[in-house]
Amino acid sequence: MNGADARGWRIALLPDALVNPRDASRAALPDVLGILEAAGYGVLQLPPAGDEGPLLAVIADQVAEYAHHGYAVAAVGVLGEPGGGLHWRRLASLLQHRGVALPPRHLVRAQADTAAEGGKLAAFLADYDLPVEEQRRWRV
Amino acid sequence: MTHAEPNEGGMEPGVNQDARRRVALIANCLLNQNAKVCEGAHYRGVVSPVVQALRSRGYELQQLPCPELAFAGARRWWAVYEQYDTPAYRAHCRRLAQAIAPRIEQYLRRGDEVILIGLDGSPSTGVRFTSSKPDWGGRPNRPDDDWDIVPGRGIWIEELEAELQRRGLPSVPATGWALDMGRFDEAGSRWDLEEFLDSREAAARPDKDPAES
Repeated sequence: MNGADARGWRIALLPDALVNPRDASRAALPDVLGILEAAGYGVLQLPPAGDEGPLLAVIADQVAEYAHHGYAVAAVGVLGEPGGGLHWRRLASLLQHRGVALPPRHLVRAQADTAAEGGKLAAFLADYDLPVEEQRRWRV
Repeated sequence: MTHAEPNEGGMEPGVNQDARRRVALIANCLLNQNAKVCEGAHYRGVVSPVVQALRSRGYELQQLPCPELAFAGARRWWAVYEQYDTPAYRAHCRRLAQAIAPRIEQYLRRGDEVILIGLDGSPSTGVRFTSSKPDWGGRPNRPDDDWDIVPGRGIWIEELEAELQRRGLPSVPATGWALDMGRFDEAGSRWDLEEFLDSREAAARPDKDPAES
């Protein structure tokens, strides 16, 4: 990849509830989108439960493409939501059909100390990447 | 699928205006620059000025799928409008449009204010401008800046709008973040986007002095 390109090579799957927290939950959650932005992650937004339809398969195609070409894909969900709000079971099946394992997942706790939760998420994001050999293979 | 006919604004009769939300449909790469073609990423991940401008005005974000990544892959060559203007690519874009359209339809029939922020200069996601060079093709060895920026939609936006029209939905006000215009000017792009958003707010303001109109 040319030096003029700024991409961060890391992407997080994110439930709609964390991209667009409702007023009631905004104060109860860290600003996950802001934390991802600061950590240099791109975001793939997942639809809310019940609205996923064929959109989840479209997103799985994208995840597979990234996973096969040197990008680190993680998932950030909400503790207590079914599947973390990430359609985890369906996603597992869709990714398996595309030859890709489920990405590492971090769950944010709502109604907790938002600064502490934000710190834990930032640490998870900072620690995660592909092994150096994989990075060298693709990110040139 | 059958639907109640929306009124002039695309809204279901009896929708509560107070619950009206603001939703911005945004190009995939505005939340994820990793979707860009090689050398096209100007940010590590999220395009912060766009997200900031939208969130500060109360817009919810709805990311659109990236048609190029799923079709031609993460390591695709650069391309112009004419190269993507094929029956197969249009069919792919229609499939993606059919996947995301139910979400958009839900917003519009609920009476939400919906806008679209694409990527000006893109062969797929351009809104006001797209890229053109009818003679591009073959061995990818074109010199720098050997393409034209021309007024018009990209293929993906054309197909998305066609899908919304097929569903009887009103057109969505749209603009583009000028990332693919050759030389990217962040300050100019920000000014342009904010002007578009502020003009939407001014148009929607209910307390406008009748004497002004």
